[in-house]
Amino acid sequence: MSARPRPASTRLPARSDSPFRRLARPWLSPRVFDFWASRLHPTWSWERPLARIVERRAESADAVTLVLRPNRHWHGCRPGQHLNVSAEIDGCRVTRSYSPTGLPGRDRRVAITVKAVDGGKLSRHLCERAKVGDVLDLGPAFGDMQLDENAAAPRLFLAAGSGITPLIALTRALAARGMPAPLSLLYWARKREQLCFVDELRSYAAAHPRFQLRFLLTGEAADAADEGQGRIDAAQLATIADLADREVYACGPGGFVDEARALLAARTVSFQAEAFSPPPRTQEDLDGTVEITLAASARTVTVARGQSLLGALEAQGLKLASGCRMGICNTCACGKRSGSTRHLHTGDAQHEPVSALRLCVNSATSDLVLDL
Amino acid sequence: MTTTTRNRKLSPDELDSFGRELDEVRARAVAQLGQRDADYIRRIVAAVRWTGLGGRLALMIGAIGGAFVSGLLIPAWIVGVLLLALSKILENMELGHNVMHGQYDWMRDPHLDGKTYEWDIVATGDNWRKTHNYQHHTWTNVRGMDDDIGYGLLRLFPEQRWRPFYLFQPIVAVIFAVLFEWGVAIQDLRLGRWWYGKISNAQMRKNFRPVGRKMARQLIKDYLFFPLLAGPFFLPVLLGNIVANVLRNLWTYTVIFCGHFTADAETFAKESVKNESRGHWYLRQLRGSSNLTGGRLMDLMTGNLSHQIEHHFFPDIPAHRYAAMAVDVRAICARYGQHYNTGSLPRQFGQVVWRILRHALPSRPPVKRARLARSSA
Repeated sequence: MSARPRPASTRLPARSDSPFRRLARPWLSPRVFDFWASRLHPTWSWERPLARIVERRAESADAVTLVLRPNRHWHGCRPGQHLNVSAEIDGCRVTRSYSPTGLPGRDRRVAITVKAVDGGKLSRHLCERAKVGDVLDLGPAFGDMQLDENAAAPRLFLAAGSGITPLIALTRALAARGMPAPLSLLYWARKREQLCFVDELRSYAAAHPRFQLRFLLTGEAADAADEGQGRIDAAQLATIADLADREVYACGPGGFVDEARALLAARTVSFQAEAFSPPPRTQEDLDGTVEITLAASARTVTVARGQSLLGALEAQGLKLASGCRMGICNTCACGKRSGSTRHLHTGDAQHEPVSALRLCVNSATSDLVLDL
Repeated sequence: MTTTTRNRKLSPDELDSFGRELDEVRARAVAQLGQRDADYIRRIVAAVRWTGLGGRLALMIGAIGGAFVSGLLIPAWIVGVLLLALSKILENMELGHNVMHGQYDWMRDPHLDGKTYEWDIVATGDNWRKTHNYQHHTWTNVRGMDDDIGYGLLRLFPEQRWRPFYLFQPIVAVIFAVLFEWGVAIQDLRLGRWWYGKISNAQMRKNFRPVGRKMARQLIKDYLFFPLLAGPFFLPVLLGNIVANVLRNLWTYTVIFCGHFTADAETFAKESVKNESRGHWYLRQLRGSSNLTGGRLMDLMTGNLSHQIEHHFFPDIPAHRYAAMAVDVRAICARYGQHYNTGSLPRQFGQVVWRILRHALPSRPPVKRARLARSSA
């Protein structure tokens, strides 16, 4: 239930083809196929991974779990990974990344848990308006936070807020295997009603003596035996047995992850962390430089902020397709995977990944990842 | 840029505010983009698909059923041809042309992506994005830079040098209209330059490869695959597909020629676009373009190129918004004393036909004529 960096492209994924599709491709336009296929079934498509919402349930006071049934173009996901989810909001596809909380088994269903973020476009849409039967676009799975399959090492999971989503998936995977090694989960939230998966986690704690569970509240008093109080600190971590032998997985807001790293990184066997991206900067200065990652050519260049991206990239020696250089012909447009840009004529800021960013009339206001 | 009696000369300040006011019209439209535009273009997609299916089915029913039921062939064939032509016109104009301008890129729908869209005519989308989106829209009616002035084939303005070949222009123009999609397909190949040895054979082979592939694909689809579905009764289907493509060609040719070749449309010298300001750019688009009156149906069937002026001002705004934007544009043009070139299809096309006929014969630009008259007096 997080909004984080979105490395995947908004374009169709390139994949290997079946012989039938290779044969049919020159004659059958995916556009035409998808139009007719979607009349027959909402998630049938030539190559787009799509998923239908088949169930929704409240997970906490401000989070819902959506169970999705993807079509055959989606290739699954391992516990702890993320995937891009897109929905059309007011005519425009909005993409955010979520870590599946329920993973595909025999029934090929995948669940995401979404917390309604203040001012969040997609999270508000999914929490408040998305209904059973709606179709969402799915991206391929990505992310490195995965269990080391062979190690029977004891583990420590630190989750704050939405950071529970990859960790619940990992916890479930371990519970399904009977908790092969000691596992401690510390899970922070402001208020009790914002905690997700409480009953499920308590049932694991009751069933597996090697699973130690602690809910930590920062905005109200602790009540139950497995509850504590206060932000992450050394005293809380001191309650964990064999801390130095643990593999640590931390997930939550940037400040939380930084704090966990400072407290633990040097004291444990390993430390893996994922932090939510900070909200896009809206107050940018025109001076200074930004880093532009060219995803297709695996290069990174540094360009000045506030000048046309086309000119700035050309000054770095790149040869780019361009035409009118005034924003009308669309020749220099390319996909932007992440980062913020500003339109030089209108001053409009754009923080979303877009499929067609006109380089000649936009400037970078943050680091960018472009499909170049 | 010539200033006729219909157009007031604008001071640099006026030009700036003229450009600024038009930028504001654009900004208001951009701010409104949303569900309504997405619904509109999806309805167009559905209309293209359903009329296409209906047309092909009617042709099939006419061809196969007509062999057994007398009196079925002709009416089903006519219905099939008209539906298929309608589908191709909508796909060509309102869907393909407008999507390839990037008008719906903001939706981030990979099927409506301006950079990758491929349309249902023999010209490749990539060639079109270059000759049309870039060359024509940037250098609208600039002589020597905008190939759309006569497409290297016709003499429509007296500023173009006359050659004896142009005497055949009335016939050439009709052939060009019938085969219009083929003309568009080879426009970017610049066969003339190859003929005169300015493009090497190897380069031409390379340039032709994607064009040839697209041509083959279209030919096989319309003139082999669908006719052969009717088995031994393929001939009516084949003829139906040919006629539908020709009808679409004639219509798109008519609409496109009305956009820039009416009596008051102007062309410009290369020097006039050096260091062109935003206001000046708008002014050139205005004086080089002309609209068609005719209401919603005309807007739909022309892909809103009935609002050619608005299209040239705002090529990347969803075209179905042009009609509403035209109210503001017209008022601004009136305030700045600029002629807003619009008229009915018969009137505008009549002027185009007159240009085709008149400039087949030697003719002189009005300025030169005036100068000559003065010197001989």
